[in-house]
Order: sequence, then C-alpha cells, then structure tokens
Amino acid sequence: MTATSLPPKSPVHVRIRVNRIVLYTVLVVVTGLFLGPFGWLVLTGLKSPGELASAPVHWVPADFQWHNFADAFDLIDFLGYARNSLIIAFVYGGLVTLSSAWVGYGFARLSAPGKKVLFGILIGSMMLPQMITLLPTYLIFAKLGMVDTYWPWVLWGLSSAPYLVFLFRQFFAGLPRELEEAAIVDGCGYGQIFWRIFLPQSWPVLSASFVIAFTWTWGDYIAPQLLLSTDKSTLAVAVMSTYVSSAGTPITNLQAAASVMYVVPILLIFLIAQRGFVAGMSTSGLK
Amino acid sequence: MTVDQMSTVADRLRSTARTGPTRTAEGPRSSMTARRHRAFYMFVSPWIVGFLLLTIVPMAYALWLSFTTFDGISPNWHYVGLGNYRELMNDSVTWDSLGRAGLFAVVSVPLSIIAGLGLAVLVNRPVKARGLFRTLLYLPAVVPPVGAGIAFKNLFDQNAGATNGVLTFLGFDAVGWLADPYARYVLVMTVLWGAGNIMIISLAGLQDVPRELHEAARIDGAGSWRTFRSITVPLLSPVLLFQTVTGVIASVQTVMPMLLAPLSTTGGITTVPQSNYTYMIHVFAQYFALGRYGYASALLWVLFVLILIATGLIFRFTSGVVFYNVDPEAKK
Repeated sequence: MTATSLPPKSPVHVRIRVNRIVLYTVLVVVTGLFLGPFGWLVLTGLKSPGELASAPVHWVPADFQWHNFADAFDLIDFLGYARNSLIIAFVYGGLVTLSSAWVGYGFARLSAPGKKVLFGILIGSMMLPQMITLLPTYLIFAKLGMVDTYWPWVLWGLSSAPYLVFLFRQFFAGLPRELEEAAIVDGCGYGQIFWRIFLPQSWPVLSASFVIAFTWTWGDYIAPQLLLSTDKSTLAVAVMSTYVSSAGTPITNLQAAASVMYVVPILLIFLIAQRGFVAGMSTSGLK
Repeated sequence: MTVDQMSTVADRLRSTARTGPTRTAEGPRSSMTARRHRAFYMFVSPWIVGFLLLTIVPMAYALWLSFTTFDGISPNWHYVGLGNYRELMNDSVTWDSLGRAGLFAVVSVPLSIIAGLGLAVLVNRPVKARGLFRTLLYLPAVVPPVGAGIAFKNLFDQNAGATNGVLTFLGFDAVGWLADPYARYVLVMTVLWGAGNIMIISLAGLQDVPRELHEAARIDGAGSWRTFRSITVPLLSPVLLFQTVTGVIASVQTVMPMLLAPLSTTGGITTVPQSNYTYMIHVFAQYFALGRYGYASALLWVLFVLILIATGLIFRFTSGVVFYNVDPEAKK
C-alpha cells in the first residue's frame, strides 16, 4: 500500500481506517446473522417447556436445562436411529466412492467410440431433477420388495454418482501419463493399474468423496422417509417426527436438543475434512 | 469389490486380450486399442447400468403410469390416454402451485446468488482471520435440511422465536411467521441461510481472476464498483450461470423447508401453509396423501419437461452475456 509513505493523520489514511472498521463491522454482523439460527437452536434445546410456552421471549434460559440432551437421548431410541444412519451412510459412502473412482478412471484415462456422448450424458444427468426420479424409483423398489431394506442404498452406491465421477475424473486426468505406461508395457490389466497404481495415489479425493457422500446420506430425509419403516429409519426422520408428547403436541425443547446432537457430528466432520470438502465443492463450479 | 475380485477381473481382461480374436493383420497396436476400448466400457459400465436402471427405467415407468389410473391398491386400473394430462391442465391447484414454485425460484435463486457473491467478495478482502470467517459463513450450508428446518421453525416461532422477540422489543406486533402469508418469507430465508455454498464456488472463481486485470483497471481510474461490475462479474459469469441453472432445478424440487415450517406436530404434507404449497408439494400430496400414482406421474413429467424448457431458455438468453475465458495456451 502507498499509504505507508503518507503522514499518519492524512485524510487518505483516515479513510482507509474508516473503511477497515466498516468492513470488520459488516463481517462480524453478517457472520453473527449466519450463526444465529444455530445458536438459537442450542438455546431452545436448553430451555424448559414453560419458558417456550409463554409469550414474551426468554432470551436465555433461567436455568440451563442440560438434562434435555440426556432426555432427548432416552425418549426415543436415539442410538438405534443413529446406528441406522451410520450404516446407510457408510454403505452408500463407501460403495459410491469406489464405484465413482472406477468410472472416473475410465473417463479420465481411457477412450472408446462414444466416450464424448457418454460424458455429455453424465454431465447432463447431474442436472436431472432427482426428486422426479425418486418417486417412480420408490414404486419400483416397492414392487421388488426392497422397501424397508437397505438394498436401495447398495444399488445407488454401486451405480456411482455423476458429481463424484466428475470429481475423480478431474483428479485422474491431471496425473502424469508415465504412471500407467510402464504397467501397460508389462502387460498389466487396466483393473490392476487402477487398483494398484491410481487408487493409492488418490487418498485426498477418496476421503473428500466419502465425506461428501456421507454428508448427503446423513442429511437425506426424503429417501429414508419413503423407503424405511419407523424403526429401521434414520436419525433425520426420527428427529423430525418422533418428539411428540402422548397428547400429540411437539416437545420443542427435546426436539431442538436432538437436532443439535444430529447436526453437530456433521459439522465436526466438515471442520476436520474441510480442505478436501471445499476443494470438491469448488470443482463443481464447472467452469 | 475386494482386491481379489478386482484382480480376477483384470486377469480375465488380460487373458481375453491375449487369447481373444487377435487381429494379426493389423498388428499388435490395434489390439491394444481394442483392449483400451473394452476397458473403457468395463470402467464406465457401473454408471451406464445404474443410469439405465435407476433413472431411465423409473422415468419410463412414470411416463407409462401417467397414462393410467394406477393407485397401487385397486386392481382394475386402466389406460386413460391423455386423461391425466387433461385433468391437470384444468386443475387450478396445479396452476397455482406451479406459479408459487416459479415465484419461489425467481425470488430465491437470484437472492442466493447475490448473497453468495456478496459474501465471497467480502471474505476475499485481505482481512484478519479470513479463513475463520469463511468457515463460519459456510458452516450453515453443511447443516442438513432437517436441522435447518427445525432451527428456523424455532427462530420464527410466534411465542418463543427470536425474530418476534426482536420485533416486540422494537415495539412492533408479533407476527405469525409460520402461517400464511408469512411462511413464504421464512422459506426464502431458510434457503438463503445456505448461501455459503455459492460463496465457496464464487470464491474459487474470484481467485482465478488475474491480478493484472484489476491493476490495469485501477490505473485506468476505475472505482471498485466499476471494477466489480466490468471485470469480476463477466469473468465469473460462467460460474454464475451454472449456479442459476442448478439453483432453479434445486428450488423447483425443494420440499423439505415447506414440510418443516408448519407449527404442527410432525410437519407433513397436509399441514403445509397455502403460501408454501408449491408444485412439488402438490406432487407429494397426490402421490402419498392420495395415492394417485398415475395422476402424480403426469404432474412429474410435466415438471420435467418444464425444467428442460427453463434450462434451455436460461442458456439461450445468457449465451450473449456469459463470457467464457479462453486460455490461449490451451489451444494449439
């Protein structure tokens, strides 16, 4: 900045200072607004039913009802639902990561007549409205007797996800040619080249893909709601619909506490895996 | 697949490559090419098979159902030709819900993009703890829809919500945010909460804008707004276009915030406030509340075609506006 060469009290200097203050104020206020809803959720989870029922808002609970979290845990089979969510997320996340890497390798390092068209369809299918295909798929799964099983997630996992295929393709396409050339000369099959040479190189993308797929599945509400009965369903469905008193009214504070416990693991995973996650997000910008 | 299975696949491939119809006349080179071609299809086959079975077949099935009265229960359902389509054309609920979905897209997509772009510009400034601000602003985009829905339900609760708390503190009357006609604003705000997604994608684009361009503009005397409008936005336009298209498609499909907003016990289709009764909610109601699979399938196909048309129109109208930065190095 040229400002350093100016006398300290010059008008330019003051203007830069004011600009900084405005900038930081805006940043802090906006960040506060973005964190507000989650903060309020935590506060709601710490209030007593009485505080939530009466009209003037109780900003902060008089007594922090920490036991709400334990109660939310005990009122429903929280662990059981969490286990179901984990099973589905691990099955889908693991399978879809492997299958997408497999398909991505094909699009990145191999060619055949029709590749261009197929790649075009792959990219186009990212824009297909999933909700539209989900409803008839549900009817077909129902016909095949797969409702109330985890088979749909196995099938979805095996069939790869266009978005993740694209992620892997971008990564594999950037690796040097020499990587497989020696192996091809040695008569190594492509399957082996993929498994022995390319996969071990791609831990960053593999973990990013797994985290992304895991987050999708953990967060998904519609598919488990459609396909699974209550006790086989996921935490998303349980948090949404099981915190109801015998009179049929919602137990707001426990539901809020349960939502916090449902959301925090995802936030932690994101914070830990942040770099790969954000790299994956940016790639989807598709310039 | 396990390592063993994987290598047997590879072995089989290798042995067919050796013992298979070797075209000796063309030499070993073309058999290598043939091997590559086979390998390509072996690799992309999971996606092809999955796409056929889990996307094309269901869509075709829905198309077939849309010409019938199938409801999943009654055995004597029959073919009605275009009957379902005629019915939906004459149903004012369809048109009203379509209008609401369109309005929701037209309002929420540009707002999200403006918010995301604004946030990106903000955290692209050289400020202290920039990384922390980025992370915190992105965090809400990671919150699953159920968490977001419940958070906003509590935030806008008539009695216990913070929003009405602020309003009454300022001397205004409390507002029934979760009911008509205000529920639609809560809906848009829930969507805007996830603007961090667009922030991250725009940020990647912003960092690709060459420094020299900004410096050249400053030397020419362009102010920061002018630089933003004439350099940053055009260079970001492909990213923004992609966000618009995917945003419109996503917004039309949105059902979660609509289902979650109501005060009622468990949410659900029947309790969605009228102002949030969008096209997709209409489909859900026909599908699950009424079991009218045939009619709902017709609704789905109409929406699908409308999305295709909308996407085409967006590309058409932006073709002159979107600026594709062609890297001269990449061209040979």
